[in-house]
Amino acid sequence: MPHLAFAVGVALWLAPSGWLLRLVSPWATGFEWPPNWSTTQDPWGLSLTAVLWLKEAPFLCWVAAAHMQHHTHRQDWARALVVAQTMGHSPARAFGVAVWPQLAQRLRWALLAVWAYGVSVVDVALVMGPTNPPTLSVLAWQWLHQGDPQQQAMGVAAAWVVAALALAPMAWWWWGRAARLGTARIGATVGAWTPSFFALRHGAWLYAAVWVALALGSVMGPWPFPDLWPASWSQAAWLGVFEASDTLTDTVSLAVGAASLSVAFVVLWLECVPRGWQRHWQWLLWLPLVIPQVFWAMGLYGLALLAGAEGQWWAVCVAHSVMALPYVWLVLGPAWQRVPGQHAAVLATLGRTAWAYRWHVKWPMLVPALCVAWAIGYAVGLAQYLPTLAVGAGRLSTVTTEAVSLSAGGQRAVGSAYALVQMFLPWLVFVLAGWAARARRIPGVVA
Amino acid sequence: MNQPGLWVQLDHLSGPQRTLLQHLKFGVEPGQCLTLIGPSGVGKSALLAAIAGTLDMLAADDTPPLRCQAQVWLNGRCISGVPCHQRRVGLVWQHPTLFAHLTVAQNLLLAVPSGAKVQRLCQVSQALERAGLAGFESRHPATLSGGQASRVALMRALLAKPEALLLDEPFAALDPALRVQLRAWVLEQARTQAIPVLLVTHLAEDIGDPQRVLELSNV
Repeated sequence: MPHLAFAVGVALWLAPSGWLLRLVSPWATGFEWPPNWSTTQDPWGLSLTAVLWLKEAPFLCWVAAAHMQHHTHRQDWARALVVAQTMGHSPARAFGVAVWPQLAQRLRWALLAVWAYGVSVVDVALVMGPTNPPTLSVLAWQWLHQGDPQQQAMGVAAAWVVAALALAPMAWWWWGRAARLGTARIGATVGAWTPSFFALRHGAWLYAAVWVALALGSVMGPWPFPDLWPASWSQAAWLGVFEASDTLTDTVSLAVGAASLSVAFVVLWLECVPRGWQRHWQWLLWLPLVIPQVFWAMGLYGLALLAGAEGQWWAVCVAHSVMALPYVWLVLGPAWQRVPGQHAAVLATLGRTAWAYRWHVKWPMLVPALCVAWAIGYAVGLAQYLPTLAVGAGRLSTVTTEAVSLSAGGQRAVGSAYALVQMFLPWLVFVLAGWAARARRIPGVVA
Repeated sequence: MNQPGLWVQLDHLSGPQRTLLQHLKFGVEPGQCLTLIGPSGVGKSALLAAIAGTLDMLAADDTPPLRCQAQVWLNGRCISGVPCHQRRVGLVWQHPTLFAHLTVAQNLLLAVPSGAKVQRLCQVSQALERAGLAGFESRHPATLSGGQASRVALMRALLAKPEALLLDEPFAALDPALRVQLRAWVLEQARTQAIPVLLVTHLAEDIGDPQRVLELSNV
């Protein structure tokens, strides 16, 4: 589920006139009118923090699960867990003592990415974040868009501060403090958190609630408070969405292009770049995750200006694919590593070339991973906001840019409809990718 | 070295930390089997990989590949420096390493790249029959027992018509009865096809002819 669609859905629940208060009003609260509360866009940023936490925790769980399933760790960690339990530790404690310290080390890039995203997010902050003043990243973006050179300079300065904040933990890790914490304090204290870590898997109900809120919000007509249901239903929002066929076409074509480009780049990287270089330079692929989007948007806009390509479809597509690269790599990198080196040797000893190995053995085995990576690239490309605005120079609109502007402007019904489309399009592709991957999945295939 | 068979003259085989093997010279005549024995880590598997030309392919991501200085002749042809897929040296490990996304027949077809599809399928069926696996064409590797998978892996290596066969403990994971049966079967195949065989093993009962044993020791 895209961050923005999630935020719009959560706003429909948390707003003073939202579902949460309607469910308990007036019988429990006595409210006949929406209270003057700042439950969304609150000045403390609590609703923004809650949305980011609810959205990023499953991502971290997914990365952790991917590491725990990795063939080089799985057996060792399973044995370590057993050994720790034979020493009298409970399963949760054994996990905390034996596995978590090793896992925490491997989660550092994902944690850094989540931190950087939280510090620098703009689109979600426009919907859920404080408004006066807004978050620093939103402020930087607003200043950068002013015609006044002084304000633009302030925007650049603010973007640097955001970047410094985003990259601060990396410096901390480089000094080696995380390694010491990972093996000592974290290992000793985190065991008790383990059950709640796994309990996150049961948070699907929250996502279902967001779906429901968006679906109903997109067809609501007049809806006086504190009625639980709208006085009437309306198709106006959806008619507006379907009439904006250019927006839908641009959205899908950009997402398809970004997914295809990013997958092609990562496959070329994994196949053509020597392993040693991959190890030394893989941090480059992570940069779109850890460097604030404001910077990327500025940089990509500058490149587009140099190339005379601002506002061009292909330039926006390249910008989206750059942002999708780390996510695609996150899927394909481990899948490529899981293909045993012996397979290449076997086929070579049968007299077949490296290309025959790739064509008959390696790539067919990786079809499920390629399908998932493409779907993720598509979803990430579709969810881009700043690169679309910056490189598109306002000439291209997508469901994401529409959802942000409408939701931030208080047009809840149309904003919900666009958010629902933003959620449905990746969902559809994930279903298709899952179907394609399952069709190719054979018992015993590692990738 | 114009004699038929497999002949190896090894100057050194070195890892990042130490030299594993040095100054080694041996040969295997067509249809014969030479057994390599020695302690773990001495470099037996690495020696087979060096002969097959797979040292670079099998190097772990985080370790530099082993370095090898050796001359290898196969039926009078020097294959040192020749790419692995052009050496015509078959290699079978303890793990059968069948391709899990392909059926048994598709795994075997990879070893018979040329010819009409019907002829290739016919060869595969005959090979499976010889291996006692008739009717297994459409089975997936995950559904095979250890012994069946080992036989498919050995048959796949033989179908590629290798000029030498290197066996890296391919019988170690099998039960004793099946091990004896499979060893006899593969050596018979090698004899009838006049293929020199180099067999690495830890098991005393795998040593067929005590005269044809090469014991490796740590440098």
